[in-house]
Amino acid sequence: MRKIATFVIAIICIILFYFTFETALKVFRADWQMPEESKQENTNNRLVLITRELDNPFWDKVSAGARKQAEEDGARLEIWGSYGNNQEDFLRQIEIAIYSKVDGIIVQGLDTEEFKELTKVKASSYGIPIITIANDVPMAESLRRTYVGSNQYLAGIMIARQLLTDMGTSGEVVLMLDSRQEHYQKQRLEGIRDILQDYPNVQIIESETEDTREQVIATTKDLLNKYPNVDAFIAVNANFSGDIIEEMDRRSNAEPYYIYSFDDYADAFSLLKKGKLDGIIEQSPLKMGELSVNLMMKWLNHELVPLDLHGYLTDIRLIKAMDIQ
Amino acid sequence: MSSIQKKIWALAMVVLLIMASIWVSLIYYNQKMQDQYNEILERYLVMNEVTSTSQQMVTVLNNYLHTPISDNYEQIDQSKLEMEKLKEKVVDFKNADNELALTNYVNLIDSLMEAVNRSIMFHPESETENAIKTFKEATNISNYISEMTLTLIDTELKTYDRLYRGIINQSEEIKQLGIWLLLLISLLLLLFTYWFSLRITKPVEKLTQAASELSKGRFDRKVEVDSKDEIAFLAKAFDHMRVNINNLISEIHQKAQLEKELQQSKLLLRESQLRSLQNQINPHFLFNTLNTISKKAYLEGSEETSDLLVSVSDLLRYNLKHLDKSTTLFDEVEVLKQYIFIQKARFTDRLTFYTDIDESCLPVEIPGLTIQPIVENAVIHAVEPIEDGGTIWFRVKDGGDRVIIEVEDNGPGMTDDKRKQIMDGEVDTTKGQGSGIGLSNVVKRLRLFNGYEDVIMIESCLGKGTKVTINILKERGVEA
Repeated sequence: MRKIATFVIAIICIILFYFTFETALKVFRADWQMPEESKQENTNNRLVLITRELDNPFWDKVSAGARKQAEEDGARLEIWGSYGNNQEDFLRQIEIAIYSKVDGIIVQGLDTEEFKELTKVKASSYGIPIITIANDVPMAESLRRTYVGSNQYLAGIMIARQLLTDMGTSGEVVLMLDSRQEHYQKQRLEGIRDILQDYPNVQIIESETEDTREQVIATTKDLLNKYPNVDAFIAVNANFSGDIIEEMDRRSNAEPYYIYSFDDYADAFSLLKKGKLDGIIEQSPLKMGELSVNLMMKWLNHELVPLDLHGYLTDIRLIKAMDIQ
Repeated sequence: MSSIQKKIWALAMVVLLIMASIWVSLIYYNQKMQDQYNEILERYLVMNEVTSTSQQMVTVLNNYLHTPISDNYEQIDQSKLEMEKLKEKVVDFKNADNELALTNYVNLIDSLMEAVNRSIMFHPESETENAIKTFKEATNISNYISEMTLTLIDTELKTYDRLYRGIINQSEEIKQLGIWLLLLISLLLLLFTYWFSLRITKPVEKLTQAASELSKGRFDRKVEVDSKDEIAFLAKAFDHMRVNINNLISEIHQKAQLEKELQQSKLLLRESQLRSLQNQINPHFLFNTLNTISKKAYLEGSEETSDLLVSVSDLLRYNLKHLDKSTTLFDEVEVLKQYIFIQKARFTDRLTFYTDIDESCLPVEIPGLTIQPIVENAVIHAVEPIEDGGTIWFRVKDGGDRVIIEVEDNGPGMTDDKRKQIMDGEVDTTKGQGSGIGLSNVVKRLRLFNGYEDVIMIESCLGKGTKVTINILKERGVEA
């Protein structure tokens, strides 16, 4: 009896000891995970990449490229921007970046007065270099150091050529334009026009619309009513392509139309896979990100002065729906 | 210091130590947590202050631009100073997660101050438009600062999220630790107290037991206490006392035994002496008278009467002389002969006395006046009351290492109870006729003299007779 009691007490003792030590260890070992100390010398090259479409896969890739390059070049990169093409927010971000005296701003060009005012006056008064990326704003209007991105004119030409091969040299082509045409859209349009004007049988219908879903759908409806025989659509502003196809599908089917667009639209690839889009221009967002950061660093380190004002062009290629199906 | 006190001190110390250590560690932990909280709170407060100061700066600037008096200017200076101080504090908040944002923040503060300076600079030069423009800029920057503060606090929350969770978890774990610790310490203390009290009370218990044993009179059990404190000392002393008492008691026992024996022999002696004294009343006169009567009888031709008187005289003399000394069997037998001669004269034919004596045994030592009373007894009981008289046999035999003396009669005998009473010395046989020395007196004296109980035996059969046998060792004191 006595032996059993001793045994039980010993067991209880051991159990209690075990749990007490366990919890005590937990309590005294758990160091509160304080944030890492900053290495202040690393805040020298602060770059900001500002875009209007943070929610867009295209820009995700640009960011990824830029981030990778920043790490390699020893720059501290922050990605700022607005969602869903919110210009007001976008401009504010640029302003904050300028007031925060960052070392360099890489920005998606915006062809508006406010943007130009900011880049031209404020940024230069604070001595902050600006590189436009993906969408350009002419040097004279923005005082940008350089442009990194696709040759939009060439993209226009490639689209137009593809259109001709697919459709033939006669037909009605609708060009969906943004009512507030930006520089890069103008260039695309120019490219398309330059090719198509040599073919008199190709009738170009240029239609401007505002960049809102309702407007695009309304305009598409309107166009399809007005020109029942239309053969092809080119969404010069890539964001339009989804809405155009949706409206067409609602009516009959988007399949018989030749529809072309650019890859700076979020759903471009999935539409292409489904065969709704017949072709898109694929740009090199990763490369853009990398190159822009690289050039900015070179400029900051005085390794490459001045930068090529005409810009550094990245590869583009045309992907047909047939290629990936 | 005594060791029980030491033990109690040790217990108190252990308890105190445990409590103190727990208290200290809890206080330490609490302080650590408090510091952490304060630090975090400080960050938020400082950032908030930056916002309010920047807004205040703009307000003050506005006042100055409207009413450019030195009072307002001083206010601007003051808020700028304040801002500088806050900026320095904010710079310290840098960590890996927020260093970029914080750098931006600090730069925004710089920009605000620059804008304010520019605005002031433009003002006296009457460039009101520029001044207002820069004022607007300052307002914007101030707004940005507010926004950035919120963003920063937000990131702070995210950054410190793990820390907060850690603190929350840890306080939960502390609670658990408290419970476990309480259980453990309670159990340990209980065990310790049990063990401790046992160490004090067990020896006391043993001691109590030993004491009760002693009080019951059992002195032969050793008092054993295996502790090392006062109780052990007490137990040792107790044991010592027990041994002493034990020795004393056995000593007393021995002494008492001796005393008793001594007392007994003294008493018997005194009794005999008393009797002899009674008989000594003017013995010389008695002897002289007896001698005179004897000679007179002889002269008158009565020789037999003369001899009788001589025998009586000898018998008396022997009685008076030899009562307290040992004598030889030979003397005893001589006296017995005198006695028988006298009794023959009294009983004539009624008394028949046969002797069978081994002469070689006669030199053996024997207490005085032992055989004569026995024979006298036989005469009284076996001859006197019977009209036809009786026969008495007296034999002395060699029994190897002892001499056997037998006195036998053919009287009525006695009952077993009576015999036993005589043997135990309970019957007073002094009353009656004869020389006056009782049988029980003889028995006791013989026993004392020989030192063993079986010295005398009485065999008796109702109606047939009685036989008294005395065994006297030739070598005295061998068995004593």
